[in-house]
Amino acid sequence: MIHLSRFSPLLLFAALVLVLISQPGDEPSATEIFPYAEIRFGVDASYPPFSVATADDLFGLEIDLARALGERIGLPVRFVNLGFDGLFDALRTNQVDALISALPIDTARIGSVYYTQPYFDAGLVLVSDGTYPTMRDLSDHSLAYEYGSTAESEVRAWLRRIRPFDLLPYDTPAAALDAVRLGEANATAALVDAITARLYLRDHPDWNAEYTYVTNTLYAMVTGGDHPEIAARLDAALQTMFDDGTLIEIIDRWL
Amino acid sequence: MIKPLLSLLSWVIRLSLVYWVIGTLIPAPPRAALEVPDRVVETLHPQVCMHTRLIDEVEEWKIQRTLQLVREMGVNTIVEFFPWAYIERSPDQYDWSSVDRIVRHARNQGIHIIARMGLVPGWARQTPDDPRAERSTLNTLPLDSFDDFAQFAADFAARYAGTIDQLIIWNEPNLAFEWGYQQVDPAGYVDLLRTVYAPIHAANPNAVVLAAGLAPTLEPPGSPNGLNDILYLEALYANGAAAYFDALAVHTYGFTDPPEADPALNFRRAELLRDVMLRYNDDDTPVIITETGWNDHPRWTKAVHAAQRVTYTLDALRMVESQWAWAEKACLWVFRYPYPTFSYPDNFTFVNTEFQPRPIYYAVQAYARGWEMDGLLSLLPLSARRGGWGVRLILGEKIGSETFVFLPSLNSGWRQ
Repeated sequence: MIHLSRFSPLLLFAALVLVLISQPGDEPSATEIFPYAEIRFGVDASYPPFSVATADDLFGLEIDLARALGERIGLPVRFVNLGFDGLFDALRTNQVDALISALPIDTARIGSVYYTQPYFDAGLVLVSDGTYPTMRDLSDHSLAYEYGSTAESEVRAWLRRIRPFDLLPYDTPAAALDAVRLGEANATAALVDAITARLYLRDHPDWNAEYTYVTNTLYAMVTGGDHPEIAARLDAALQTMFDDGTLIEIIDRWL
Repeated sequence: MIKPLLSLLSWVIRLSLVYWVIGTLIPAPPRAALEVPDRVVETLHPQVCMHTRLIDEVEEWKIQRTLQLVREMGVNTIVEFFPWAYIERSPDQYDWSSVDRIVRHARNQGIHIIARMGLVPGWARQTPDDPRAERSTLNTLPLDSFDDFAQFAADFAARYAGTIDQLIIWNEPNLAFEWGYQQVDPAGYVDLLRTVYAPIHAANPNAVVLAAGLAPTLEPPGSPNGLNDILYLEALYANGAAAYFDALAVHTYGFTDPPEADPALNFRRAELLRDVMLRYNDDDTPVIITETGWNDHPRWTKAVHAAQRVTYTLDALRMVESQWAWAEKACLWVFRYPYPTFSYPDNFTFVNTEFQPRPIYYAVQAYARGWEMDGLLSLLPLSARRGGWGVRLILGEKIGSETFVFLPSLNSGWRQ
């Protein structure tokens, strides 16, 4: 009969060694996850500054992000430029491994696809000199926004929630931001999407404005519902880019 | 023995009472009772038409609400998609209920339907030993299934004869995506038209078979993505398609150009398609523009600003009416989605998923119903005031739960 107490430290040590040795082998290699020895990203390159197509190339924030992910994973990246209508079918028919195309997380699709963690929030933001950081602070003041836009729908919803404020519709979101910056028509704040706000503030570095999110539109990569390992690998690589600041550097490069 | 049973019974009764009380507190789902009498669309511009997306609605009241808003807009015709895959899930086993309820409410609201047909059920998509099986999509229609599709189209035509007489066969077959991610094949599409044409007419002698609207695109021959719509239409005629359709559906989008811009990949692309028809002596075949419009997404490269979208759309409708006698209808894409796409397609809509009309809804309504001379119901962009067009706010009017401001005339424009 074996005296267990005598052997248990040895057994534990052996088990630990086994776990340490076996872990890398249990995790599939990059080429096992991506059998074409490349990462095939589906993209609708009609969405600046996230992805844009020229005659023979693609460029933009998501193109840089995808290439950086490929470097982290250790595989080359290939882009398949598709129209929006064809993105999810291309994923379904295994013509691409993942989608990276300014796609907000759509809860209705969860179950049929996997989303990575988000890499950008394109929601609506309230831009002002900092005096009016939230929508609730706008009562009795004036809010600029683009006529007919998503911002207008949000503005009308807020009109039913708080004391009235003046509506200042403009024909472009940049004009709405101009109104606030120049103090036109007593505009105290503007409601625009985060991309517009970041681009505008980059073009007007002398304007000491701040913005706060009013809604969230979270862009994430998408993989097929039968490929959780692809989502996990992309997610892990994205996390390292969060951690070391690479993602912020890429976003700042374009926005 | 009896005591525990009585105790159990008492608890069942108590829980049933609680369940009943909670049930009475939950609001009943909105009803979709038909209006009596049937409604009539009031319009001065009957060529204005809307493309709807009703077939995916789960709740019937949303179908009714959509069609009420379409009627109130002054639009008497819709294009609606009726997927084969939804209706004939097993061979020869039809479930018409989803079509019936749309037809019932459209008729009740005085709205005419043009049907678009496509989307292949799984059983017709491939055979088990077909090597393409893994890569098939809902748009994959093997040659072996053409007859099945024709039978479905004929049965549809027979069932709704007199109610739905205009049938569009397929959608944008010049795109690989719409042709099951296979190389596009004009001759193959002509075969499809040839297969369906006679059975549909046998089922409904008054049927109008429309050749599918083609996607506006510049894809060159051999492209894996698709083929230029002008070239594709040429190829259809060259392959003898003219004998197998009674009208041509046309998709023509403005993208970033105003409607009057020279014909290119823009609204007046319809004229280039019409030129092809004339070259093949097909003058008498009418055109129905089954998709058109502008998009006002803030980022998409093919979009315009919301204010431009309003102006361009109304100018385009005027152009169709005054200059394109060959075009019977101009159907705007798209009235409302049942669920948001969370991307630029949402910015083609006139009403959001919560039934909140966007400003363009009121603009087209004012045009269709002849209110244009009284002013556009809309909010005035401040830059228009700055721009020196001489327009000003003249009064506010409460419509529904929204207060709107009249502009003296849209013609003053917001174009920069």
